Amino acid sequence: MANQAEKSPGVLLIGAFVIVLIGVIGTVILPFYDESMVTPTKSAELKNYPADSAEARGRQVYIREGCNYCHSQMVRPVKADSKLGPISQPGDYYYDKPILIMTQRTGPDLTWVGTRYSAEWQHQHLLNPQKIGGAGSIMPKYTYLSQQDRDDLVAYLLSLKPAPESTDGTAK
Amino acid sequence: MAQSAAAVPAGYPKASKAVKFFFYSSIFWLLLSMVMGLVVALKSVNPDFLTGSRFLQQYLSYGRLRPVHVNTAAIGWMSTAFFGMVYYGVPALCKTRIRSEGLALFTAWYWNLNYAGGAISILMGYQTGVEYGEMPILFDIGVVINVVLIFINLFLTVKNREEKVLYVSLWYWLGSVMFLAIVYLIGNTPAEWLPSGGVQEAFYYFYMHNIIGLWLTVVGVGTIYYLLPKLTQRPIYSHKLSLIGFWTIAAFYTWNGPHHLINGAIPVWLMKAGIIPSLLLLIPVWAVLANVIGTMKGVWYRVSQSVPLKFLMTGALFYGLACIQGPFQALMGPHAILHFTYWTVGHAHMPLFGGFSLVLFAAVYYVLPRLVYRHIYSTALMNWHFWCSVIGFIIFGFAMWTAGIIQGFQWMDGAQLGAAFVEVMESLHIFLISRAIGGSLMFLGQIIFAWNVYRTVTAGQQIAADDPMFVSR
Repeated sequence: MANQAEKSPGVLLIGAFVIVLIGVIGTVILPFYDESMVTPTKSAELKNYPADSAEARGRQVYIREGCNYCHSQMVRPVKADSKLGPISQPGDYYYDKPILIMTQRTGPDLTWVGTRYSAEWQHQHLLNPQKIGGAGSIMPKYTYLSQQDRDDLVAYLLSLKPAPESTDGTAK
Repeated sequence: MAQSAAAVPAGYPKASKAVKFFFYSSIFWLLLSMVMGLVVALKSVNPDFLTGSRFLQQYLSYGRLRPVHVNTAAIGWMSTAFFGMVYYGVPALCKTRIRSEGLALFTAWYWNLNYAGGAISILMGYQTGVEYGEMPILFDIGVVINVVLIFINLFLTVKNREEKVLYVSLWYWLGSVMFLAIVYLIGNTPAEWLPSGGVQEAFYYFYMHNIIGLWLTVVGVGTIYYLLPKLTQRPIYSHKLSLIGFWTIAAFYTWNGPHHLINGAIPVWLMKAGIIPSLLLLIPVWAVLANVIGTMKGVWYRVSQSVPLKFLMTGALFYGLACIQGPFQALMGPHAILHFTYWTVGHAHMPLFGGFSLVLFAAVYYVLPRLVYRHIYSTALMNWHFWCSVIGFIIFGFAMWTAGIIQGFQWMDGAQLGAAFVEVMESLHIFLISRAIGGSLMFLGQIIFAWNVYRTVTAGQQIAADDPMFVSR
């Protein structure tokens, strides 16, 4: 029942490579050519931090400490996200390197957290989430961060705001 | 078609040092991953767990341990063990030796040292922020070098095979190692090299899905097809069906990346490009399951006689269930409720632990006696390993799925922020405790596994080199 091609690993692998390549072109390469994926929005410009600014350094702290494993950064046009602010657009992530959308919302979404709390609140919350956020919070206490790191991180969190024009939440 | 039990060249079986190295080291990573999983589960119950000193607080914080747990499971344990499996299985099916045992042993060392370096850098705070791709680029390069070397070694072995027929496991195995190289290169492209965040979405979610879909699934299904005829002493039910499965996996899995971003910040056409192939996935999954069920027809009773077969069947079952759950979650409605919740955690553990880790346990129990010329030390311990793993996972899974459904509906009722959000967290406490209990059972099972393997190697009943079990390897 086996024909000749079936016995040739080379033919097989080339075939498999081509088939996977089609999927790669469809889902990885084509997005390069979609305007919405490669055009920055006004909100994205707000997140285009100058190198070595407090916000840029704070973003590194955010990644280093793995904040993204519990906090998503994407607001969807669904009921479960109705109170989270303006809906995220692909262009909002234009300058994010890397994107921090992630896959878990163990803690609340942080896409626009800068609109919600003051710097003082963020500092106190990082030091003792259970005292500030509520006894049931399972967020770790970030008392081990240096003052500099904590200042930078809070600067980053406060910078997470939508551009004024799109605050009505009707985008998309 | 089964591999014929024809005469094998003299000198077989040859206990491969590389295969042993891959298997033993993978069990070390398995235990480490379980410890870390348990620690993050306990930190979810009590955030002050293991924060006694500044050192612990910093280096064992949840945000650093969780990615190391995931990487150690997927790269440290599963990938390492599957490399052991293919290094054993490819020469066995080709009725020849591995092209270069020296190169195989080199990759075994380099692969393990490379991963150890990657894991330590994440704990040190050098993670990249890309899920599953947290290791710094130095270690990504190491992964790619290893995968390419392993691929060349396997390909040349197949090229110079003694057996004419290319059994279907060889298709899956060769394909999977090639796919791993492609997927890993795409997924670990540094963000700085990509023009926009939108394009990164395409790259990183392709990777996140396909490191499972095109690597662990394909190599795992190949392993199922290898072990099934061996453990049942019957040929595969349908050769054609297994080939249909191969091509449809390659064709449909590849497209699934965008289904992680449904309802999200991507164009609608891209969502559709992810959702439709997610549903089509039911074809390859059922091709595998139909083949398994067809092969087992009339010999199901053997499950009660062979613990490795019990592992294999349960693994295939959980793989099937995961791939029914997956397309369901990829529909826009369920996705809007379940995404971002604990449901995802339960789903992620189903194919990786319930599915292909169980397949790997069957593989280790089958291959180990053929490597060390000793019978498995204790069947009773194998059974304990089985039941602790399966019951532990079921507790774990249902705790997470239930918690996820509650979370999803609570968020829809408006508990999305602040005090309302924390209130939902409190109501989930019991599920997080249940997860830790299920996880502890899973961990206990793996301790039993490691002990049984250790005792097999050191004190298992010896097998003569001319034993019939070595003839077909």
